[in-house]
Amino acid sequence: MAQQMDNVVDQVAQLNAARSLVLGDAAFYPQIVNGILPIVGASTRLELRRWGANFLAETFASPMLAGAQKEQLAPNVLQTIREILELPETDTAVLQSLVQTSASLYPLVFRHVVNHPQDTKSWETMSAIKQDILRRMDSFPCPVKLCCAKFIQRVVQVQTPGLISDPRRPEQNETSLAVVPRNHAVLSIPNLEAESSGLLDRLLGVFQEETSDALLVNATLNCLAPLIRTRQSIANKIINAVLEFYPAKHVRPPFTPTVRVSVKSMERTARALLINVLKKNPNHPLAGRMQMYIERLMQSRLEVTDDASRKRGLPNEPTDGLDNAKRARLNALPPPMLKIPPMAPGPASFDRLFTLTEDTGLSSFDVKQLPIDLVLKIVVPLLSQVHDSTLAQAVDAVRTRYQTITKDQNLQRQQQQRAAAQDDDDDDDDDDDYEPEYQPMDVAPVVSEEASAVAAEVADLQPELVSLGPFVLPQPPPLTEEEAGEIGRSAVARVFGMLNAAETSPAPAKGQSQQKLGFARLAGSTFDRDAWSVLLARLATRAPAGLENDQQAKGDAVRRQTTIADSIRETLYRFILEDFRGRLNIAIIWLNEEWYNDRIQMKSHANQRDHTEDESEPAVPLNYDTWATRLLDGFLTYLDSRDIKVLVRFLSEVPEITIPITQRVASLAKDPERVNLCVQSLMYLIMFRPPAREMCLNTVEDVYQTYEESRPAAGKVLTKWRPQSKALEPAANDAPESSEAKPITPEP
Amino acid sequence: MAYDPRRTNSGTSTPQPPPPPPPPETTQADMASAVQALETSNPANTATDSYKLKFCTVCASNNNRSMEAHLQLSGAPTAFPVISFGTGSLVRLPGPSITQPNVYSFNTTSYNQMYEELSSKDERLYRSNGILNMLDRNRQLKWGPERFQDWVPGVPRVDHLSKGDKGAVGTEGGVVDVIITCEERCWDAVVDDLMNKGTTLNYPVHVFNVDIKDNHEEALTGGKAILDLANRLNEAAVAEHRVHGSEGWENGTGPARQSFDEKVPEILADWQERYPNLPALWTLAWL
Repeated sequence: MAQQMDNVVDQVAQLNAARSLVLGDAAFYPQIVNGILPIVGASTRLELRRWGANFLAETFASPMLAGAQKEQLAPNVLQTIREILELPETDTAVLQSLVQTSASLYPLVFRHVVNHPQDTKSWETMSAIKQDILRRMDSFPCPVKLCCAKFIQRVVQVQTPGLISDPRRPEQNETSLAVVPRNHAVLSIPNLEAESSGLLDRLLGVFQEETSDALLVNATLNCLAPLIRTRQSIANKIINAVLEFYPAKHVRPPFTPTVRVSVKSMERTARALLINVLKKNPNHPLAGRMQMYIERLMQSRLEVTDDASRKRGLPNEPTDGLDNAKRARLNALPPPMLKIPPMAPGPASFDRLFTLTEDTGLSSFDVKQLPIDLVLKIVVPLLSQVHDSTLAQAVDAVRTRYQTITKDQNLQRQQQQRAAAQDDDDDDDDDDDYEPEYQPMDVAPVVSEEASAVAAEVADLQPELVSLGPFVLPQPPPLTEEEAGEIGRSAVARVFGMLNAAETSPAPAKGQSQQKLGFARLAGSTFDRDAWSVLLARLATRAPAGLENDQQAKGDAVRRQTTIADSIRETLYRFILEDFRGRLNIAIIWLNEEWYNDRIQMKSHANQRDHTEDESEPAVPLNYDTWATRLLDGFLTYLDSRDIKVLVRFLSEVPEITIPITQRVASLAKDPERVNLCVQSLMYLIMFRPPAREMCLNTVEDVYQTYEESRPAAGKVLTKWRPQSKALEPAANDAPESSEAKPITPEP
Repeated sequence: MAYDPRRTNSGTSTPQPPPPPPPPETTQADMASAVQALETSNPANTATDSYKLKFCTVCASNNNRSMEAHLQLSGAPTAFPVISFGTGSLVRLPGPSITQPNVYSFNTTSYNQMYEELSSKDERLYRSNGILNMLDRNRQLKWGPERFQDWVPGVPRVDHLSKGDKGAVGTEGGVVDVIITCEERCWDAVVDDLMNKGTTLNYPVHVFNVDIKDNHEEALTGGKAILDLANRLNEAAVAEHRVHGSEGWENGTGPARQSFDEKVPEILADWQERYPNLPALWTLAWL
């Protein structure tokens, strides 16, 4: 026994020596291979079979041994392999090596048979080995299965047409289906192609498994590159199969570290394969999809497997002992907790509120005894030394105290009020029910009542705002009327200030917003210049409506001076005249408001009169006429002959044309330069303002008669609009006779 | 196994004919008992126990990180077979400033040449920044930096053995079972290059990445972590060999039946828990 064992050991030693020989010089391979085959054959010991299989795998993989020599060695070796496989062999290492050898042998034998169709035996043996491997592949242990996958890849590579680099020198062409003659005695091209197609499907089947075996997937991925590169006809099929494969989808939770390693490896290998393909052919038709796939893989990797950062974190300790600056400060002590005593009993006072010390001597000390500069000298350095957190604690303490006091006092006050309200209830209910209602504007509100209401409101607010102690503002001294007027005027002045400020606001935006708002707009909702002018106009017209009546009743003498409305009007008037061309808009707004207010007042007054059956005298002061003529007078003198647009706009947009207005316009004709201005504006009114047509025609007639210079222009207007005018007769003889000529009598 | 390839290697100059193979005449029953005897009597001497994974370490310049790992793996008690490469286009070593690196070509410049050149240039500078120490270490390990992309797997590396490269024992065949890169860029380059090489050997290889910063301290830490990973992987591989060797395959249950390859993701996950600061990556590729 021992001798036999020694025998085996010796044999292996001898075999190793032989291997060293061929590694040193490949020329000895034929000799050695043929020599060892009987030693390591099917019936020998496991050690020897292992050694033999390993050696054969090495031999037929060796780049040092020429293909032709391998081809010559192949038949004998094939027989040995077949015999070992049919033992049946069960040792993984032996099987692994034998499948590797077969994979290396397959192209050699294939080529041999292509060139020697008569050697059917070799092909039969090779086919038998192939069938045996393919049949048993699924039952083989994992390492052998991996080699089987590689074997399949080799078979597919051989049995798919490849490139013929040079048809004249067949011995240089790569072994593939393309080198098989069509009429080969043994090899049938269609059969071989069909077989390889089936095997390719089997190979790519790993990508469709429910649960992926990372080893098999990686092994497959890593052997596909040569197929893609050298076998055009199946390259796209392979790439598509890879593109359909998402490693993260083929694993099941739980995601153990092992699963994570597997998924990551499959993703990286798939990526490596596609990058390899892309590098070889950047213009590949599937390049875009491959790029997308690679990007998607990168993303899924971040999501599924790489929960931990791939970069190394900071070292736990500084690499040298010197960089203390970077260390967290661990020795800094937290400041001591401040001891906050409860607030001293008794009524709350600021003194008690802020006293945080329990030392009676300290708390009774009056700091006011010290001179101020000494206090400063003490306090400033002290503040800089106080610890942040101590200060925060102290402030918090005072704040808490303050909030508690406030809450208590509020509670007390509410209770008191409730008690007081109950008392009131017992006395009378009327007072309590009082609710200020909206007052119609013509009913003068009782000022004192309003004031008391405001006072009540302030009183209501007081406990909320000032909760430290009861404090009641003294009643303000009653305002004299002058003072009130003064304050009112100053308020108005401020609104005018707004008007000036708003004037600079961008014009286009304003125009746009106006257009959009249209009739639905609310005055003063946009806060631009127009809004403010509307506000002012209404302040002047509507707000004091009714008050004036009251004051009128008191006495006409004081009225003009005191009414705030008139002061606003005066200011507005001046404001507009300052730049009447630019502020014509405001003038129009104002006059419209004025006119409207007059109408409303007249109407309500009429209603009242019906009610009260009063005397019929109109007691309403009308402002429109006064101010319209005043305004016109104001700027008429400054109008220049080219200001036709300004004048026409004013005349067309004011709500009502009155005879005084037309007279003012007619007066323009005094100036020979402005005759046309006068006639044209009147003509505009005649054409486009039918209610004022008659009035204006009369004015034109008057102008025609009064001013010589106006005749050519005014004559045309008259001949068109009032051809029967008598005024025309003396001047234009050929003009048709006018039936009716009215001498214009200016109104007083 | 009591087999020293170096000893046999010396005899390659006078090639001897292959030993006449006497086919073993033992019966099947004898075989089984012999196997049992082999495993029980002298387990330390059996082929299964001496089984070692073959490693390859890769960084950018094949100087700092891959060579530190090379040292750790070849110097370990297990003395793993190990070869090492760089994936950069040139060997770049720090120079007097960041814009003036010292540049050498792969495969043709030895560590010794670099050492001599730099020590003549500015010994004080290169001593203080550790470059000379590093090169000194490297020249004790192997001749010079090799470029991964120029490596042809399967080409025998017996000459490296004869040069006395550390870790060369076991890598004569020119293949490795495990490649460990030290930077994601290198991992990408290695996986990509293996695809380009065409997977002609049909030989499976596990490609790991262990992200290590390129400085001496991190290289040392990383090298130790890589050795730890290598030990765990090798343990699993040896266990697989032993299980199968004793024909206990059918008797084993659960995890015991798992092959080395199947255990790799688990081993890496476990390892990663222990070294959270060295982000790892893995795939199974082909030589």
